[in-house]
Amino acid sequence: MTWPALLDMAFMRHAFAAGTCIAIAGSMIGYFVVLRRQAFAAHALSNVGFAGAAGASLAGVDPMLGLFIFVMAAAVVMAAAGENVGDRDVSVGMILMFSLGLGILFVNLYSANADAAIGILFGSVLGISTAQMQLTAVVSLVVLVFLGALFRPLRFASLNPQAAHARGVPVAAISMLFLLLLGAVASVSVPVIGSLLSFAIFVGPASAAQTWTKRVTTGLALTVLLALIEVWGGIAASYYVNWPASSCIASLSFGFYAAGWLSKHAGFHTLLGRTRATTPYANAAAD
Amino acid sequence: MIAATTPAVVAHNLSAGKGAQNAFSGVSFQLPPASFTALAGANGSGKTTLFETLLGLVPPRAGSIEVLGQSARKARSHVAYVPQASHLVLDVQFSGREFVAAAYNGRSWGITWRIRAAARAVDRALRQVDAQDLAQRRLADLSGGQRQRLLIAQALVNQPRLIFMDEPLAQLDPSAQDRIVALAARLRNTLGIAVLFSTHDVNTVVDVADQLLYMAGGSGRIGSIDEIVTDDVLSALYGVPMHVVRERDRLFIMRDHGGPACQTKVTRIATSRRQA
Repeated sequence: MTWPALLDMAFMRHAFAAGTCIAIAGSMIGYFVVLRRQAFAAHALSNVGFAGAAGASLAGVDPMLGLFIFVMAAAVVMAAAGENVGDRDVSVGMILMFSLGLGILFVNLYSANADAAIGILFGSVLGISTAQMQLTAVVSLVVLVFLGALFRPLRFASLNPQAAHARGVPVAAISMLFLLLLGAVASVSVPVIGSLLSFAIFVGPASAAQTWTKRVTTGLALTVLLALIEVWGGIAASYYVNWPASSCIASLSFGFYAAGWLSKHAGFHTLLGRTRATTPYANAAAD
Repeated sequence: MIAATTPAVVAHNLSAGKGAQNAFSGVSFQLPPASFTALAGANGSGKTTLFETLLGLVPPRAGSIEVLGQSARKARSHVAYVPQASHLVLDVQFSGREFVAAAYNGRSWGITWRIRAAARAVDRALRQVDAQDLAQRRLADLSGGQRQRLLIAQALVNQPRLIFMDEPLAQLDPSAQDRIVALAARLRNTLGIAVLFSTHDVNTVVDVADQLLYMAGGSGRIGSIDEIVTDDVLSALYGVPMHVVRERDRLFIMRDHGGPACQTKVTRIATSRRQA
């Protein structure tokens, strides 16, 4: 079989395969992250992974294992810490701070390989092994299956948690499960695009898509599309221009977000919707 | 199947609370089918705890409760709760239709396969609150009254027999308030839904309410508005002398300070407390 020049090398194929999985699973979970206003939790969970990977290296075990354990433990603590947004931000920030403190300690003690730490922080999409690619694919698939199973109660609980609770939706359990799924995606996305830059997949495409769509299904579809453009564009750019892929992914993510912000605030958010935005004051008089 | 004559709620000597103290105790009342019951009382008088008890989210500490002839938990699939709009993030880009659709079979796992049945249910709910024109509008662009109508449509999408509305008039201008009250009355009249409607101002529902449940002083009394909003009943509930003024068909409830009539009330409250 012959591959196009871009995919000629095995590492490029791995990069595209793992990147595609993360773009799909990460951006879909990111859609609900933005809807539930948990962007800070998504950022923190990705960064907790850094401490886990560094700690595992120090202990002489697989960094992926340490990363996974730390991220999932942090997800459980965050979910248990409560629902109130104010309390939530403080507790998430505390977990983030503590884990970064631990991370830098581990890196300091394990001075043999500082490059590995940089790899975790900023990602190394062109250094994905076959095993890592397979793990990424399996985790992404599992997350998508769970997300599909949770879809209706998650959507209801995200838009109107109190009415959902009153109807018997297990809102607290769903919050916990959602953070665990987010943690699982973060665990596989961190080695690929990095702790600091996973935000580019989780939040950028979803927040742009939510300003341009009025329905969950179209919003999810656009989110995935934007995330794929980000990741494929980032990897292709790194191949042709020889810039770090993560930088291109982050730039595209910022570009989407900025375009969404501009279209919302300039008042022409009719790109995919039908009605023109009007001010709430105009409606107040009509009601 | 629930018979049309089954009372929506029968509560007997009910006590409940979430903290060390009961939010209310010894409250008895009945909500008949297709009735409009106003729920009044100050902040902290136990209105929200009462909703949570009736929804089976907070177990009663004493007394009994029956919702649509069964336990509060089992009745949930026939009951809808409309939370206070200020407790929700409604500044979102979703269309009114999508917001209403989110509740359709919202308790079931998986995704909606029966798309046409869902669309019909959403259309019906939007029609019932007269909000077809809001179907394609974004929630972020709507006024408080328009959002409130969509919240009620969301509650109607699963065809409940009983609706709890938690302060649906809060932060609305008077004409939007009238519209929501008329809508709630229409749910009772045309759909036969029992409505429990909490409000700070009894005057807003004076024309439509069949009865009033007034919560104060850790207890509650039910009756017609004329029976409950009186000096004697409110003084007994609050445990301090209260005075009701009627002016141009409006009721004003105020604390009674001094005067001979007030002294009589103080004696009466003291006597009734001793007897209790």
